[in-house]
Amino acid sequence: MQSKRGFHLRDIIFLALIGILFGVIYYGGDFIYNALTVALTPLGYGPMANDLTMGLWCMAGPLAGFLLKRPGAAFIGEFLGASGEMFLGGQWGAANLISGFVQGIATELGFTFTAYRIYNKFTVVVETLTTTLVTFGWDWFRNGYDHFKPSTIIILLIVRLLSVFLFSGVLVKLISNLVNRTHLIKN
Amino acid sequence: MNPSWQLFLVLIISLEISFTHRLIANLVLIVIAAIILILQRLHWRTYLRLLFLPAIPAAALAVTIGCFSPGHDWWFAAVLASRVYAYVFLGATVTVTTTPLKLARSLEQNAHLSAKYAYGVLAAVNLTPRTISAIKTIRASARMRGIELHFYSPTLYFKAILQALRWSDQLVLAMESHGFVENQSRTVAEPILVSVSDWLIVVGAIICLQVILIAFP
Repeated sequence: MQSKRGFHLRDIIFLALIGILFGVIYYGGDFIYNALTVALTPLGYGPMANDLTMGLWCMAGPLAGFLLKRPGAAFIGEFLGASGEMFLGGQWGAANLISGFVQGIATELGFTFTAYRIYNKFTVVVETLTTTLVTFGWDWFRNGYDHFKPSTIIILLIVRLLSVFLFSGVLVKLISNLVNRTHLIKN
Repeated sequence: MNPSWQLFLVLIISLEISFTHRLIANLVLIVIAAIILILQRLHWRTYLRLLFLPAIPAAALAVTIGCFSPGHDWWFAAVLASRVYAYVFLGATVTVTTTPLKLARSLEQNAHLSAKYAYGVLAAVNLTPRTISAIKTIRASARMRGIELHFYSPTLYFKAILQALRWSDQLVLAMESHGFVENQSRTVAEPILVSVSDWLIVVGAIICLQVILIAFP
């Protein structure tokens, strides 16, 4: 978990705070998730709520990567966010930690593949792809996606890709552009 | 039970049932977790929430697999639905039997997690009530200027991040002025021990789980 430059107490508190603040912002996300699930289930697409909201749950990781620009930031940001949310009273309890771990690796890989040097639109694309594929692979086992119709699986994958791209990709990049313009975070 | 050991046990079990498809094991886990939760004598609203919230994703998975998938495999649908409940109930046994402070202390002392992670996250978690009011303030002040900030507005996150930066600076100053030094050996005010019974519970539970997973469908 430790990088060459390491994370200091300030970074750790900052990343955990971001996770919790974001958790508060999309606390309504749980509600949207449940409402979507109820609405989509009669159509045979109940699990799609998970894919539709995936981009929201994964935001803390890429944001930490774009802000701190160093190895491990995305993983730690996502995982600490999940640990914080565990006590925020979300509906998943300690199971949050496992999702946080998987999502942390998923988002971190995007920055690994760009060698922690490039932080532009290309990174957004790479990070979107790794996040989508790794989390989808995880749901393949956890939510039994392998039992769905092939057409359903493809639709779910596309929906997840779009959600991750819009929230964990574009929105995160817009936010990090705003923050970087303030020069408050020194790299 | 020792909080770290309990957390690890729950994580191991959750991971294992993610990759095995056994109905009986899930049901046994749900019953055991439910007994632990009932013994805690929680508020009735917590029980209602625990009972009904997982019902939505569980039912969604079951219906999709039972009615809309090629095999119409209701047995597998039941496995997945029961697994959702197992996750939530097991997860809840950790969050209701321990506090963030106890867990942080235990992770530092028993699991040898670096103190900066244990107390850094704890400091942030303790600010949760203030983060809730901070988000409300940001939204309210924008509304006063006729701007509605949605969960997809970059400005809302931007302002939240500025708040997080300021708070993390202040918290570090506060912790350092109370004598917290990174990577220094620390003395312990409240030792948290790992007893023989913790080991027995963890080892026993894992062995029992394997037996149930192998023996029952």
